[in-house]
Amino acid sequence: MSFVNLKDIRVSYDGKQNILKDLSIDMKKGELVSLLGPSGCGKTTTLRVIAGLIKPQAGQFLLETQNLTKVPVHKRNFGMVFQSYALFPHLTIAENVAFGLKLRKEKKAVIDEKVKNMLAICGLENLGERYPKQLSGGQRQRVALARALVIEPELLLLDEPLSNLDAKLRVAMRIEIKRIQQRLGITTVFVTHDQEECFSISDKVAIMNNGIIEQYDTPEVIYRRPKTKFVAQFIGFENFFSVIRVDEKHYKADNGQVFTTAAADSDGETATATIRPEDIEIVSSANEDTVAGRVVVRTFLGKSYQYEIATELGTLLVNGSAEQIYATNDPILLVFPAEKLVILDN
Amino acid sequence: MHKQKGMTIIAICVFLFLFLPLCLIVVTSFGTAAAIQFPIKGFTLDWYAKALQSETFMSSFKLSLIIGGLATLLALLIGVPAAYALARYSVKGKNLIKSFFLSPTVIPGIVVGYSLFQFIVIQLGLPVFQGLLMGHFLISLPYIIRVVGSSMEQMDYSIEEVAWTLGCTRLRAFIQIVLPNVSSGIFAAFMLAFVNSFNNVPVSMFLSGPGVTMLPTSLLSYMEYNYDPTVSAISVLLMLLTIALMFLIEKTLGLASIA
Amino acid sequence: MNKNVPYFIVAPGIILLLFFLMLPLINSIWPTLFAGQAVMFGNYLDFFKDSYNLSIFWRTIRISGIVTLITILLGIPTAYFIAGVNKKWRGILMALTLFPLLTNSVIRSFAWINILGKSGVVNTLLIKLGIIHQPLNLLYTEFAIIVGSVYLFLPTMIMTLVGVMETIEGETLEAAETLGASPFSAFCKIVLPLSVPGTIVGSILVFTGTLTAYTTPQLLGGNQKMMMSTFLYQKATTLGDWNSASVLAFIMIVVTLIVMKLLNSIAKRVDRRELNRA
Repeated sequence: MSFVNLKDIRVSYDGKQNILKDLSIDMKKGELVSLLGPSGCGKTTTLRVIAGLIKPQAGQFLLETQNLTKVPVHKRNFGMVFQSYALFPHLTIAENVAFGLKLRKEKKAVIDEKVKNMLAICGLENLGERYPKQLSGGQRQRVALARALVIEPELLLLDEPLSNLDAKLRVAMRIEIKRIQQRLGITTVFVTHDQEECFSISDKVAIMNNGIIEQYDTPEVIYRRPKTKFVAQFIGFENFFSVIRVDEKHYKADNGQVFTTAAADSDGETATATIRPEDIEIVSSANEDTVAGRVVVRTFLGKSYQYEIATELGTLLVNGSAEQIYATNDPILLVFPAEKLVILDN
Repeated sequence: MHKQKGMTIIAICVFLFLFLPLCLIVVTSFGTAAAIQFPIKGFTLDWYAKALQSETFMSSFKLSLIIGGLATLLALLIGVPAAYALARYSVKGKNLIKSFFLSPTVIPGIVVGYSLFQFIVIQLGLPVFQGLLMGHFLISLPYIIRVVGSSMEQMDYSIEEVAWTLGCTRLRAFIQIVLPNVSSGIFAAFMLAFVNSFNNVPVSMFLSGPGVTMLPTSLLSYMEYNYDPTVSAISVLLMLLTIALMFLIEKTLGLASIA
Repeated sequence: MNKNVPYFIVAPGIILLLFFLMLPLINSIWPTLFAGQAVMFGNYLDFFKDSYNLSIFWRTIRISGIVTLITILLGIPTAYFIAGVNKKWRGILMALTLFPLLTNSVIRSFAWINILGKSGVVNTLLIKLGIIHQPLNLLYTEFAIIVGSVYLFLPTMIMTLVGVMETIEGETLEAAETLGASPFSAFCKIVLPLSVPGTIVGSILVFTGTLTAYTTPQLLGGNQKMMMSTFLYQKATTLGDWNSASVLAFIMIVVTLIVMKLLNSIAKRVDRRELNRA
């Protein structure tokens, strides 16, 4: 049932260090899958393996049932958008977009029609006769997209296509990409280091670190239930403390306090618990679930205050509302709601 | 970028084409026969001895070094300040002046040599040496202007301005602050200009006289009547000097700066 | 004082150039153009009317053109190859390309005397193989001048082209390949068009260089196949014919300037298509 299947891909540049280690991933047809991770995690390498620009030392790449591992780049029919857009500087926009079609020896009338349609879909009408140098960054990005889509590729591969745009444009463009992708129903692999960008438009996200996939799931699941400390840190969790498993829903911290969690995916004896600063609740009366602490530093975040709080579990970061403000050295009581407390594998 | 078989083969052939003839010279310089032939019969260093002992070649070699050195130095003395002035100040007609300084490159070398010969030697009656010096100065100057000029244009002049605020005079700041920071450019320009002057033929051809001959000229004269491995030996010696020079440049500046 | 400082600094250079370059040139060429007050082109018309002169003129132009074409054909693949190898090899190959440029032109032309001469490598080999019985006259032909000039200027063309090709981003070629272009097709459709400005710059250097070179035509062409430069030398020194020499000098300057202007304007028209990063 999978459309894209990478199996045990190994890539190393000089035989010593592995950039990708036995990487496997499945994608369904029509999905927008993102590869997310810090610089050097191997996400771009994975994309380039799919594109055929890098030959893996081991492993297989299957598209539906076809084994494409040994097929050269120019025979794969995948559309790719590069981070630098890589537009052909000596050709007009229309010629850039028509490039792939011309190579496929389509009739001129057909090419002109397809180019016109694609330019319209991507919001580039009337720019056909200009040269890349005359266009803005956002426009060039759309040309790169149009050029990749017009050949009706099996896969669309996007390598950090929005990194060179300013913040506002990035948000607008990512919605554009999602809109076009859904309209054409094209399977897309999207590489980025921007978590918000990735989560906002992806059907599935693979969080990568050092050549392996740490977690591969829908954005909602990853957001609420990260599996490893790396993933949790990457998506904004703070407040890590070690715990010992009591049972499936109860974990004991170093200070003896037992915390309830909604459900844990971990089954190890020892684990790490974590919770987002905005998910910790500040309460007024103590009970067996509260954690007592003292405010060390208070910072203003705009929509809330953030407190650094010293507790028996270590230093915790907690977001508090503007209604009740605490000062340095104030005592404070915290509660970790069960459905927000996440248990991570060690 | 992708390498393709066809390109690789052509590239290899091109490099063979460039180097085999030079290797041939090296081989023939050791032959025992009186005329150059390949393959060589026997092995001898006699031709090297002959070359190094020849009064003509040694004196012309010395002259090439002297003229090259003096002319390039003169070009530096005139050209470095000029490059500085053009880069630092907004001079009216800057492009015109720059083109003027680069004009010797547009004039064919043979014409430069010829007109200098006619004017300096014939009409003014100046000694050939002075004519040679001026001729080589003219062909060296463009290198200084171009290479040092580009260094000057890329320099950040705020360090010069800081020196002024600290009490440095303009001249002193130029010598102590600006020059050291473009020293690699100056050195590169010097090397390029010197090599170019040493290897120059057209200008030196015209401006030579009894006892005042540059090395390429004396080589050409010798070759008019002789076809023996002395020429091969001298060629090899010169090539060795070139290699030594390239090593020197690579160790100090990196060859990329003059490429 | 401040505003005029730069002018004082450039003055010595300007004066020296005026006195030692411009003045001698004018001194030599003026008499050929002006008799008293009147401009006369007689000298030049006479020059071109003579069929011997004309043949030398056309030979020079023709050989320069052929050499330029050959260096382009050989230079582009070589430069592409060099631009595509890793850093360490690129340095080595560039050094290898630079070495001949720093070697004296006498040595480089002499190398071809060894190869093309009556007792040279080619003839010795052909006679040994029994293909010919008498040595061929390969020296003192246009062929010899062409080979020698290509040998002289190929490194220049290669270095100019490598400079241009290095600026073509690898991602542009990869994009072409993802769109279906084979590596060779990507080379033809992307690398070649973007190399045109560099090729033109290289062509200016090679064409004007071959046009005005002295050593190579002298050693490999001799008196049988003269080019304008060797002709000028002969007129000036052997024959003492100053007038003809000056006429030649002026023609050479004019032709050089025309070629440079022509090729530069072609370069500008090509550049209109804008070859910056997209």
